[in-house]
Amino acid sequence: MNQIDQMMMTGNLAAAWGARLADIDYVPAFPITPQTEIVETLAKWCSEGSLNARFVTLDSEHSMMTAAGAAAATGARVFTATSSQGLLHAFEVLYTVVGWRVPLVLVNVSRAVASPITLEPDHNDVLAARDTGFVQIHAETCQEVLDSILMAYRIAEDPRVCLPAIVNLDGFILSFTREPVMVPNPEMVKQFLPPFRPAHLGFKASAPHALGTAVSGGATYSYFRHQLHLASINALGVHDVAAIEFERLFGRRYNVVEGYRLEDAEDVLVMTNAYASKGKAAVDKAREEGRKVGLLRLRMIRPWPADAVRHALIGKRAVAVLDQNLSPGQGGILFQEIAACLYHEPLRPRALCSFIGGLGGKNISEGEFLAIFEQTAEAGIRGNGIGPVLLYTEAEHREMEQLQFLAHELKTGR
Amino acid sequence: MLAIRFHGRGGQGAKTASRIVGTAAFLEGFVAQDSPIYGAERRGAPMAAFTRIAKEPIRERGLIAHPDVVVVADASLVGDPAAKVLEGVDATTVLFVNSPMSAEQFSAEVSVVGRLTTLNLTEIALQRLGKRGAISALLGAVAGRLIGLHQVSIHEAVARELAELGLPTSVIEQNQTVAKYCYETVPIVALETRPRRTVPVALHTPTYESPTRGTAGITVGPNSAIRSVGGWRAFRPVLRPDLCNGCWLCFANCPEGAITIKPDGRPAIYYPHCKGCLDCVEVCPTDALTVEQETAATNK
Repeated sequence: MNQIDQMMMTGNLAAAWGARLADIDYVPAFPITPQTEIVETLAKWCSEGSLNARFVTLDSEHSMMTAAGAAAATGARVFTATSSQGLLHAFEVLYTVVGWRVPLVLVNVSRAVASPITLEPDHNDVLAARDTGFVQIHAETCQEVLDSILMAYRIAEDPRVCLPAIVNLDGFILSFTREPVMVPNPEMVKQFLPPFRPAHLGFKASAPHALGTAVSGGATYSYFRHQLHLASINALGVHDVAAIEFERLFGRRYNVVEGYRLEDAEDVLVMTNAYASKGKAAVDKAREEGRKVGLLRLRMIRPWPADAVRHALIGKRAVAVLDQNLSPGQGGILFQEIAACLYHEPLRPRALCSFIGGLGGKNISEGEFLAIFEQTAEAGIRGNGIGPVLLYTEAEHREMEQLQFLAHELKTGR
Repeated sequence: MLAIRFHGRGGQGAKTASRIVGTAAFLEGFVAQDSPIYGAERRGAPMAAFTRIAKEPIRERGLIAHPDVVVVADASLVGDPAAKVLEGVDATTVLFVNSPMSAEQFSAEVSVVGRLTTLNLTEIALQRLGKRGAISALLGAVAGRLIGLHQVSIHEAVARELAELGLPTSVIEQNQTVAKYCYETVPIVALETRPRRTVPVALHTPTYESPTRGTAGITVGPNSAIRSVGGWRAFRPVLRPDLCNGCWLCFANCPEGAITIKPDGRPAIYYPHCKGCLDCVEVCPTDALTVEQETAATNK
C-alpha cells in the first residue's frame, strides 16, 4: 500500500509531514506567522520520538539559515521554514548557502512584506529570492506541498544540482486551510528518496574543509557563479525524471507547469500558488459562458521553465499574467519573465496582458476574474497588450475612502 | 591616452603614488582618472593602482590591461604570478622597478619584457627621509617623470595628496625635496606609444562540472601556518634580549601573530610569518627591537 489513507490536514501540517517522511536529521527553527505550526509540529514529533531529528531554536532567521547551511555541509539532511520578514532577515545567508552548494529544503509560507504590516499572503517575499540560486517550487494544494517537499529533496541532492530548494505555500489560504491529503507510505518514500550522501561535502574533525572561500579577480568568481547557473538549469531535467518516478510510486504526476483546459483555449490566464484554484473555477465559469479560456499554473519558478512556458502559450490569442506580487515602478514580476521568453517566438500571443491582484491576500472575486477575461479578450482582438492593471474594485475603493474620511475626522475632529 | 599601472604592497604608498600622478596631470590640464584595486585590506598584501591621463574624456575604467608604463614599488612582486606585474607588458612598455640593481643587472637576474629602468627608492628614502615604508612621493615623482609631467606639478601634487593623508607640513616638505631628487635622478626611457588593434578573443562556453570541482571550497585543513610572508619584508625586526623587559607588547601588537612567548617569558619572532611591518619596533618601550635591512642573502 503506497499511501496511508487520506487525512484532513492544513498546508502547514502537510509540510511537516513532508519533512518527516523525508527522514530529516536537523531542524534549525524560528517562529513566524503563518509558518510557526510547521516547526511546532516537528518539535512535538521530535520530542515524542516519532521523528528522529535534532530540533534547535535559533535566535533569528539569519542564524537559522546559517545553521541550516552549516549542518547540511556536514552531510545532514536539513529542513527549515520561514515567511516574509523572516526570509528577508536571512537574505544574505540565502545567497551564501547557495554558494556552498548545500542541498536543503526551506519551506516559505508566503506572506506579504511590510510596510504596511500584514499577515496575509502574496508573493513578493518568495520572489525576492529569485536571484539567490535556490530552486523554487510553488504549490497549489496541501497535497502538492507534501509531495513537493519530497521531490525537492530528491532534486536538490542530485549531484547534477546540489542546490538548496524553496517550496512555497500561501499563508492562510493554504497554510491554515485543511483539505484531504494522502500521506505516502514511509517505506515507499525511502525508495523515492535515497539517503543523503554528498561527495563534495562532509565536514569531520579528521577531514577539515573550508567553504565559501574568498576569491579575487572576477574570472574565478565568474566560474563558480556559472556553475550555480548550470546546476539550476540541470534541475529542470532532474525534476522531470523525479516526477516520473514519483508518479510510478505514488500515482501523482507533477510537471514544471500545469495546464488547465489549455488545449483548445483561445486566451490563457497565468497564475501560481493557491489562488490558481480560484483561477480554475473562473475558467470553468467562463467556459460555461462560452469563452474559450484556459489556465497555466507555473509550479517551478527557478529554474525558469522557459520551454514549458513557450510550449503552453505559443499560438494563443492573448495571455493574461496575474501576478500576486508587485515590483513598484515596473509591475508584475512573472509578467516580465514570461514576456522575455516569448519575445522571439513567431507565434507568440498577440497580446500579453499584466494584472496585479491578491496583494496582501486581497480576495480576487469572480467579478474580477470576469473583468480579466473580458479585458484580455479585447486586448487579443486589438492585438495590443495592457497593464499593469491594478485589480481593485469600486467597492474596495469606497471602503478605503471611508477609512480615510474617518481617519481625517478623528484627527481633525471635523 | 597614457596608462600607468602601479604595483605595490599594501602600505607602501602605490595608491597614493597613483593619485600624485593623477593630481599632477590634472593640474597640467589633462583629464585624469586614478583608482586602486585590492583584496582584503592588509599591509604587505599585493595591490595595484591605475592612472590614466588624456586630453579627451577617458572612456576606460578599472584594470589597465595595456599599460604604457608599469611602476613596481617592490621588486619581489615581479616573481609573484598572482601580482601579474607583467600582464599586458610588451617590448615597448616602460617598466620601472624599485631596486638596488641597475637595469642591466636586473635583466640579467630576472627575465622581463619591456624597457627597464631602476632606482633604489627604498635606500633613498632611508638615507634622505630617515624612513622605511611609504615611498608614495618617490614613486609618484618617478612615474610622473617617465610620462613627461613637469616637476612643479608633481611638487604641488605631492603636497595635496600627503596633506589629504594628514601628514604634517614638515614631513610633506621633506617628501617634496626627495621626490624632486628622484624625478631628476631616475634613468629616462622614452615613451613609445603606438595604436593597438583590438585582438579578438575566443569565448569558452562553460559546462557543468561535478560539485567536487564546481564548489568554492578548499578541502584541506587550516593552512595559514605554512603560508610564508617573509618574502614581503624589506626590513626585519631583530630582538636584543639584553634590552627586553618582557612586557609582551610586541607579541600583543603583531598583526600576523608571528611573535610567540618562550617559556622564559621573552618573545621569539617566527620570520616566515613576519611581513616586516615593524609594529613591534614601534611599540617596544625599551628599544629592544632593532631594524635590519633585508638583503637577498638574509631573506629566504
